[in-house]
Amino acid sequence: MNPSNPPQTAEYGGDEVSAIVLDPGYSTTRAGFAGEDAPKSLIPSYYGKYNADGQEKLVFGDDVFVTPRPGLSIHNPIGKDGIVEDWDMAEKVWEYSFTSRLTGAKPGNPFHNGLNDIPSEELPTEMEVESEEKPLADSPLLMTEPGWNPAKAREKTIEIAMEKWGTPAFYLARNGVLAAFASGKASALVIDIGASNISITPVHDGMILKRGVQHSPLGGDYISSQIRALFKKNSPQPITITPHYLISSKTAVEAGQEPQAKYKTFPADKAPDASYRALLEERTLSEFKECVVQVWPGPNKLSAAGPNGVPNEESARSSPGRPFEFPDGYNQMFGVDRFRVVESLFDAKAAIPDPESIFPAPTPAQTLPELIKASLGGVDVDIRPHLLGNVVVTGASSLLYGFTDRLSQELMAQFPGPRVRVSAPGNTAERRFGSWIGGSILASLGTFHQMWISKKEYDEHGANIVEKRCK
Amino acid sequence: MVRRAPRRRKAKAKERTRPPLPPKPRDPNMPPFKDEHILLIAPGSQMTLAQLGLPESFTPARFRFPTRMFPAEKKGEFEPYKVRQRQREFKVSDVTNASTEAPKEAQAPTETPKEDVEMKDSAENGVAAAQGGEPTGDSAEKTDKPEGENATEGEEKTVQEFYYEEDVTSEEGAVYPIENGRIVDWPCFFALLTHIYNSLSPPFHTPILLVAQPVWSARDRETITQFIFEKFKVPGFSMMDAALAAAYGFGVQTATVVDVGKGKVDVTAITDYAVNEHGRGIALEGCGGDAMTDRLVELLGSKGFSREMCEQLKRSNIAEILPPGTTVPGTAATARQGADPAAGAEGDKAAPGGPGAGAQTGGEGNGEEEEGVLDVAAIVSGDTNEYLANMEKEKGNKKGGVDPKQPRLPNSKKEKASFQFEEFVPMEGENTTGGPQRYTRHSREIEVGVERFLLATPRQKVGDRLTNGILEDIATQIHHTILAVPDATKRSELWDSLIIVGCGSRVRGFVQSLLGVITQKFILSPSATIFTSEIPSAFTTPLPTGGTNTPAPMGQPPGPMYHPAAHGVNPLLVAATHNNPGMPIAPGTPGMDPSIPTHHRSTGHSQTPTSVKTLRLPEYFPDFKDQGNTNAPGTTTGHTAATSGHGSEEGAFLGAQMGAKVFFVLDQGVTKGYMSRVEYNESGPSAIHEYSL
Repeated sequence: MNPSNPPQTAEYGGDEVSAIVLDPGYSTTRAGFAGEDAPKSLIPSYYGKYNADGQEKLVFGDDVFVTPRPGLSIHNPIGKDGIVEDWDMAEKVWEYSFTSRLTGAKPGNPFHNGLNDIPSEELPTEMEVESEEKPLADSPLLMTEPGWNPAKAREKTIEIAMEKWGTPAFYLARNGVLAAFASGKASALVIDIGASNISITPVHDGMILKRGVQHSPLGGDYISSQIRALFKKNSPQPITITPHYLISSKTAVEAGQEPQAKYKTFPADKAPDASYRALLEERTLSEFKECVVQVWPGPNKLSAAGPNGVPNEESARSSPGRPFEFPDGYNQMFGVDRFRVVESLFDAKAAIPDPESIFPAPTPAQTLPELIKASLGGVDVDIRPHLLGNVVVTGASSLLYGFTDRLSQELMAQFPGPRVRVSAPGNTAERRFGSWIGGSILASLGTFHQMWISKKEYDEHGANIVEKRCK
Repeated sequence: MVRRAPRRRKAKAKERTRPPLPPKPRDPNMPPFKDEHILLIAPGSQMTLAQLGLPESFTPARFRFPTRMFPAEKKGEFEPYKVRQRQREFKVSDVTNASTEAPKEAQAPTETPKEDVEMKDSAENGVAAAQGGEPTGDSAEKTDKPEGENATEGEEKTVQEFYYEEDVTSEEGAVYPIENGRIVDWPCFFALLTHIYNSLSPPFHTPILLVAQPVWSARDRETITQFIFEKFKVPGFSMMDAALAAAYGFGVQTATVVDVGKGKVDVTAITDYAVNEHGRGIALEGCGGDAMTDRLVELLGSKGFSREMCEQLKRSNIAEILPPGTTVPGTAATARQGADPAAGAEGDKAAPGGPGAGAQTGGEGNGEEEEGVLDVAAIVSGDTNEYLANMEKEKGNKKGGVDPKQPRLPNSKKEKASFQFEEFVPMEGENTTGGPQRYTRHSREIEVGVERFLLATPRQKVGDRLTNGILEDIATQIHHTILAVPDATKRSELWDSLIIVGCGSRVRGFVQSLLGVITQKFILSPSATIFTSEIPSAFTTPLPTGGTNTPAPMGQPPGPMYHPAAHGVNPLLVAATHNNPGMPIAPGTPGMDPSIPTHHRSTGHSQTPTSVKTLRLPEYFPDFKDQGNTNAPGTTTGHTAATSGHGSEEGAFLGAQMGAKVFFVLDQGVTKGYMSRVEYNESGPSAIHEYSL
């Protein structure tokens, strides 16, 4: 190629310029430019709503964690099963995810910035049109979706992208497939441990095997509910989580002693909603998960006996406990209990019962081993060994300490014959953003160029083109 | 490992021709750029710092431009100063008179071409100009009269003439292109960059390093890149994140940078010279210096304090944020931060000293107040600092034993204190026309009560925040930001390396109080850490993955001041489980720091923080006096916008100089610290993300 000639459009596909990859999840929404190795923008999918001066105000981004506001309530546009429920708000949250860090806010109309006072009759009309420039007018958009996203939701998604955001090209990819790509595999059994769901997605040659897709609600939020159940039964006294925003100062106390903290009180008309407190409690719980919670690594269940005949619980008990301090200063060692809270992901009987929990007691079919079994049962016998040789673990909740060890133990116990290989990236970011990274790779491939659904095609065929093109 | 196709971001630069030469210089030993030919620009909401060339020993920025421009006559264009159109009439017959007056007016703007820029080395000139201004001031004419009013003598034989005059003191109609770090007016921002570039007029082969605000989006950065390359035709351009620059300045690779600006605060966790974008606190509004001024206005406004007075009070050394739990003098209650706002923040600050009767009115009564006439140009052009400082000193001497009742009490114990309020008053009694307006600088003493300790307490009127003031907001954000760092083993180090920069942090006691709030809210009690439980041992852990539950190796022994009473902790155990107690982090050029190999573990770590500490600027940059963090009495010299010393709150600019030295001179482009023109031509503005830091 003669370097003094500009490259032809077809050589690199002009539209791959700064494609945006948007990976919305139940707990967080990830967005970034294709080709980069981590999403630049990571925001909670939760948003806050409150009234100030008689106006309803919305809070997006990390601010919901930082600043309590009067009467603030927390909402999530995505339902527990990972499917969007509130489309208007989903659009706003997603839009915030890429405008805040990537594309910037829409440029203000130069005629309205106070500098140019032009009599209204002189306003050129074409400038008006330009001022309504859509936020993604010059960026192709690759979005992800769960494997069980219904056709209606998919059509709605492309509609928003094309009509509200004005993207010139769009593609909708399954997050399971993308997570496989992120691990460099075209065929894999993707185990995604998310916040609201765990899912198993068999991927073969880059195509999702729909009949094998399984999901259940035993995700990170379920583990949180188990931790809460544990706290309720805690001895010597039940533990209540008081988030930081309700505490003005705390004093150091010995382990297990009553907390001594100064609490804040808010007048009833100003106090944030219970949903806000729940969200912030969740923050503390995720710190607890990071620091304390541990998955019994196997072999065998926690309730069973180990290979040398010693009950596993005994071995677990003999390992040193881990201390944890709550925002109000209460602190305690957590011994064998820290294994119990996640055990029900593998063993439904081990669940800590809590009648008040919003999660019903798990059924055996919802546990990971059963899901995997069901998933493999849904795919062709011939490719099962191939899938088992390429098990990909992704999702932030899979970062629970010891999770992958237990998972491989379970898989080996369940499928003794075939060679089982679990690949789980050690890098936290790669585990948390698996499907985003896959999308980043996919959208930056030159060969992906032909896959985009262009605006023209959308105008021609309507929203249901997404069913035909994004399989 | 992420495998991916090679990045091929080709921008819309198809028609650009590709220069055939590779970017690297042919002689491997020759740096691509010279020290003296590097332009640094650090835009902020209030001030934009700039400097041409890197001095032998790095200094605070030599030029400070107010970040504002004025709309010019032509729409979309901007002028650095307010330009007024004036109209005057004179008789045609009176030719000689007109010709003598005209040069005088033309003189005014040209005399001081950089009135608006504060120049370090022009201090002498500034003083000279200030003194020289006095005699002419007497004959000077006041122009601030409405147009037409002075059309006294023109009836039949007058000619109307328009002329333009730069009013260097006026802020009327000023456009501030940056608000809370965000660029809100692009044409104005570009005009400002152009103004700075032209004022410094760098030679042809000068690369630019721009300190980027964290809030700028990727697209913003591309836009700026495009502008810089295409307008200034620079050979190289680098964009350095402000937080990263601060870490460079402090010579550490892992730090939590808290940048307290005018209207916002940025909190950034930096690990191994990489900015953690996730969980970063970007442009927290209502937490900056303005919030403190607003609070003072709220407290003192009813007592006749103007906003400007409150601003100067905030900058004075009697305004102080007391650490939580400290008793406000004259009251039984404690300082308010950390307490319940609903319990009535208004309650006990009500024992006010209030300004002494008549202190803020009738300021002209005092003898020493009339400081004389200053030429406006001299005042604004900045380095009157020395001059002002001298005057300050004199005044201080005079006042040596003024208050015998309160001898030598520390500020925090005094119920009342006073500060020098300075303002510019237009000269009275000179109602002639033409010539730039003259001002006198009045200075008077204003007495303030305990309100001066309450600038970080929550405001009453802002109804949509429930926190106890800005310090709590910032502390919560720091906690959130550090908790969001994926590499948990680094968190403890992040807590121990707080870098607090930004002019808002210069308020006396700010840093100490912030640390106090963090201690109160977040520091873990020793019993919650590993030390009171079993001695950590990897052998008892039944884990095949080799995880241990030892505390993060970065942990350092608890700080002497800010750690809660370490009861129940065996100090030997503490010493044994920690690395190198007391070993200072060697400040040095980046890359020279000892890098400790860290094993990345996602879990199996202990909670943080067990201690919190701030870092100090390396001491071998004597020009960066460590003012912001010490706030010793007397360090706040000036009360006007131009203070002479710039301390560690401008550590980011120091870091930018280091960065420029490394990227442009030392490493010869190996670390991809800057984008060359060739690369720009080839890949377009979007490629800046591969180079920007």
